[in-house]
Amino acid sequence: MSSGAPGPSGGNGALIRIAGVHKVYDAGATSVHALRGVDLDVAAGEFLAIMGPSGSGKSTLMHILGCLDVPTRGTYLLGDTPVGNLSSRELAGVRNKRIGFVFQTFNLLPRATVLRNVELPLMYAGLGRFERRERALVALERVGLKERAAHFPSQLSGGQRQRVAIARALVNAPSILLADEPTGNLDTRTGQEILALFDGLNAQGHTVILVTHDPGIAARARRVIQIVDGLVAGDGGLGGAAAGAVPP
Amino acid sequence: MTLRESVLDGLAEIRARKMRTFLQTLGVILGVASLVAVMGLVDAGRREALKFFSEVGGLTKLLVINRPPREEVLSARQLSSAGLTWDDARAIKREAPHVTQVDPLASAWLPVRHGDYHQSQDITGATPDFTGVYKFYPARGRFLIDDDIASQARVCVLGDTAARRYFGNEDPLGKILYVGDVGFDVVGVMKRKEFYFNEGSDNALEWMNRMTIVPLTAVYSRFTGDADKRVAYVNVLVDKVENNHRTSEAIEGILSRRHGGITDFEVWNRQEMLNRMREQSQMYNILFLATGIVSLVVGGIVIMNIMLASYRERIREVGIRKAVGARPRDIALQFLVESLLVTSIGGAVGLPAGIGFAKGITALLDRPAVITPWMAVISVGACAATGLFFGLYPAVKAARLNPVEALRYE
Repeated sequence: MSSGAPGPSGGNGALIRIAGVHKVYDAGATSVHALRGVDLDVAAGEFLAIMGPSGSGKSTLMHILGCLDVPTRGTYLLGDTPVGNLSSRELAGVRNKRIGFVFQTFNLLPRATVLRNVELPLMYAGLGRFERRERALVALERVGLKERAAHFPSQLSGGQRQRVAIARALVNAPSILLADEPTGNLDTRTGQEILALFDGLNAQGHTVILVTHDPGIAARARRVIQIVDGLVAGDGGLGGAAAGAVPP
Repeated sequence: MTLRESVLDGLAEIRARKMRTFLQTLGVILGVASLVAVMGLVDAGRREALKFFSEVGGLTKLLVINRPPREEVLSARQLSSAGLTWDDARAIKREAPHVTQVDPLASAWLPVRHGDYHQSQDITGATPDFTGVYKFYPARGRFLIDDDIASQARVCVLGDTAARRYFGNEDPLGKILYVGDVGFDVVGVMKRKEFYFNEGSDNALEWMNRMTIVPLTAVYSRFTGDADKRVAYVNVLVDKVENNHRTSEAIEGILSRRHGGITDFEVWNRQEMLNRMREQSQMYNILFLATGIVSLVVGGIVIMNIMLASYRERIREVGIRKAVGARPRDIALQFLVESLLVTSIGGAVGLPAGIGFAKGITALLDRPAVITPWMAVISVGACAATGLFFGLYPAVKAARLNPVEALRYE
């Protein structure tokens, strides 16, 4: 599949450079080796899908990519920032300014209005009330929900909720949009609309990383990473990815 | 995240869970209520005591009384001592430092006669310093003067009730009152003295209104014929409370010397008495305060429990907030602000409840409660401290949550 994005051996301009990343969870007496030495470069502007069966480590990889977790071993450079050395406070700052999350279950605050949900990252960024409101409304407009700003999440359909979540992810102009099974809780048609929204955002220059187990969804991406047993098993265009869904 | 946003979030949370907030604040409300009530009662009691004391000599009054030796067999020297005398009083005035008034008092039980009135009464022998000690002044006429003492004058001054009793509607001034068989000119009628403890109906100072006062020397020369010129007790006023102790020791020295080393007297120090009283009531204060504090602590534990429940319910929310960039301190602040809000609301509601509670109790006990702004400050402060202290653990727990686990939490 044609893509301007560099491959795994990516150029010096990579947005994300992950090298030799291990993640080990201590589970009492035994420990779980979720990642066993992952190397991955992602350039700015890519649309990347991470695929893999459940238990493959793709969620762990996403958490590390999203700075929700840090690797046990290995290095992660986000831009110029070595993320592995950051404190939980600094990681919060990175998540706030450079990463936008979209979750399968939307994860909106039920007692906050749509507007306040979208404003949330800006609050933690320390922005003033009026600027927050303005930027949140712009983000809502981009997902076509500006007129629902005063509604509560419970008053919206699933697709609309996911749009709100995308607006929240976009509002602080992050370097990366990280979506974890964003269509998992939506019907096919609504899911297609959401994916189309990601296409559009990518076309506008956003880096999108989509975690999914569905090859049909991964087909939207220009590059697909296969994770199997905590390792990158395949990296390439859709054709390779579809074939590589079952590792050789 | 600004404090303002935390407060807004906290208020939203409280609004969404009114019943829980109410239960949460209940403990705090009761705690504050009992704190306010106790402080009100204690304060009122102390004020009453001080007010009464100031009516009968204030805190600078030392009371010198006779205290006969307790031994069953008295030594000759003990027997030879006459006890407190007028001369002792004069020696105190002459020699003791910081003394402003010395008021020796003697009394005799004698028949009093005027017109149809004929009845035995307590007759008080006093000196001019009496008025200053008791702040007891003539309404009409005059009080005793030094000349009356020197000349053992046959003059008397009557309390308001005594004057009515003896003379009815007649004007007693210039009339003659027979005490024993001696005629005394009535030269003055005193102002009424009144003090009602705790707004009760008994005048604690009515005994003063019943007084029939004659010159101290007249009691000896005209009635008792007492060559020793003994007195029942001596009131001594000191210039400043700080000098009470020194003066009281000086008086003990003077009297001991004059009584040949026999201690058949005692000097009571009002200030020390009040301190003793305070110490005794302190026990009750501590008891009551402990009750208030216990209910605050119980309220605090309730708050902690509910905050912990709220924490468990909101683990996912904390995860979401962390995912979009909440720092640990943002989360801690949010939880702390919420528990502070709850306790402040509890305190604000508890304050009027406490005042009402105090008033209710005092109505039952027939004692007034004094509520000062201080108590409000202390009570609401105690509330806020409770909220902070018991909110800290859930707040820190929430702040330390691992974002990945928090997001996965169902």
